[in-house]
Amino acid sequence: MAMQDKPQTPVQSSEPAAGRPVRHLELKAALLLVFTALLVTGSALYLLYARGFFEPTQKLVLVADDSEGVVVGMDMTFSGFPIGTVRRVELAATGDVHIVIDVATKDAHWLRTSSVFTLVRGLVGGTAIRAFSGILTDPPLPDGAMRPVLRGDATAELPRVLVSARELLDNLGALTAEEAALRTSLANLQEITGKLKGPRGALGLAFGSDADAAKVVAALDRTNALLARMDALVAKADAQVFGSEGMVRDARGTIHQLNQLLGDARASLRSVDAVLGEAQGIGANVRGATSDLGSLRAEVEANLRKIEGMIDELNRKWPFARDREVKLP
Amino acid sequence: MTAVSRGLRRLGHTGRAPLRWLAGWWRIIFFGASLLVLAISPASWRADVRRSVMRHIYLDTAPILWWFTVLSALLTLVITRIVVVTALSYGLSRYALEMVIRVLVLELIPLTAALFVALRCTIPNGAAVAEMRRIGHFEHLLEKGVDPVVTEALPRALAGIFATITLAALSCVVALVLAYLAVYGWTPAGVAQYTRVFGHVFHPTVALIFVLKTLFFSLAVSIIPMASGLYDVEGDGSRESAALQGLVRMFAVLLLLEAASLAGNYS
Repeated sequence: MAMQDKPQTPVQSSEPAAGRPVRHLELKAALLLVFTALLVTGSALYLLYARGFFEPTQKLVLVADDSEGVVVGMDMTFSGFPIGTVRRVELAATGDVHIVIDVATKDAHWLRTSSVFTLVRGLVGGTAIRAFSGILTDPPLPDGAMRPVLRGDATAELPRVLVSARELLDNLGALTAEEAALRTSLANLQEITGKLKGPRGALGLAFGSDADAAKVVAALDRTNALLARMDALVAKADAQVFGSEGMVRDARGTIHQLNQLLGDARASLRSVDAVLGEAQGIGANVRGATSDLGSLRAEVEANLRKIEGMIDELNRKWPFARDREVKLP
Repeated sequence: MTAVSRGLRRLGHTGRAPLRWLAGWWRIIFFGASLLVLAISPASWRADVRRSVMRHIYLDTAPILWWFTVLSALLTLVITRIVVVTALSYGLSRYALEMVIRVLVLELIPLTAALFVALRCTIPNGAAVAEMRRIGHFEHLLEKGVDPVVTEALPRALAGIFATITLAALSCVVALVLAYLAVYGWTPAGVAQYTRVFGHVFHPTVALIFVLKTLFFSLAVSIIPMASGLYDVEGDGSRESAALQGLVRMFAVLLLLEAASLAGNYS
């Protein structure tokens, strides 16, 4: 109604609400209102969820001697995962600092009665509270437990590092001083490199004097000459040993002759072997004859015993038998 | 004698300038308070006013909502990429996400939304109100027993407030989603960590300052141009003068609010 009462001017037609009427304007506006309300409500709910408003927690009190670096809202981590949030930092009646931490109940099983808590201040970044549980079979940490926290301050190491750095710089200064050993060594090194670049080079540097270096050079020359003579000698020996008239050829002929001799010897031995075979047959025959002689002899002995027995019998029966009785005088 | 009187008059003008400046601010504050009282008064919500409010809410917000969302998404992608790559190169990637949320959601997007709404809606609305007043439309309404502040200024101011809040809220949500995607990619694996970082950044104090800042931004961009157009705080009452006055005062207030929010967040 009010819009229709207004006079139309260029300015009014330039504002956003000007123009032709929009169909279902109120419905669209209501939808827009609902959309915005849902957006704001959803954002608020997500924020509450992110802040852990809907998550049950249990309390843990860490006792420290200094609260420096500890701020409300910082995380307590276990193996790098945040499991708790600092809810309050307060000064106890004993002068200690009580850091009250809310640990999510679903993560509280990582904390055991034997867990260790550390408060570490790094050189870069903020302070970090960490929990370590070595024995996960220990009883779980009860709600409202109070535990000491171990402090580790990287910045506390800075004075010691500075002292060490100063000592290092002093040593470096002493090394590079005017009369320092390093400078003298460098000067000597420079002198040595100068000698190396000289006419005698490394030999002059190694033997100290040019005369000795000259001796070494002469010795080397003589050694070279000796080697040349040795070379000629070896060539001659090669000709004598392996040449056309050398020792190797004679040796080969000798070996050939030896082979022939060995063949002859082998034939002679074969003949001897046959002779020995025959002798062995003769021996066997002799052994048979010897056994026949034994039986013959046994028979002869038996016959002799029989004859002896017969003679004895004859003697007894014969009239001229001798009187066998002995008559004592 | 003439020169002396002219000098005294100039001195008088110079002496009255701070008073006029203060009176201008007082009118703006008074108008804002009156507008808020009218907004919560049931007597103001007649059927024609309700229709006018709905019309302005839709026409001031809907056409710019998607454009602004696309622009803020582009801004989010660029800034997130810059921050993440820089943080990675310095080995500070664990702080990148927190920095993106702080820079974009807490600081840039509410201010950008307020400026966008001011330039697109509330300053033209204030100029239109000034024009209506100049051509005698308000006297015409008063003769008919209709309060022009309720029928003309209130719907426009409420629409400005609503547009600022909607744009800021939607752009913040889009920025949060895009920042997550830029850092973690298309995987839900980082949702828990991202939620924790988000909760860590939005400490209750920070969240309160964020809400108050957005609210005061919306009030500033809606009320100041309207008050400048309605009461002719300074100048000759022309359309350009009203727009310029509204713009200068509004920028000054936005600057103060941003400074106060920064001081509250980081001091």
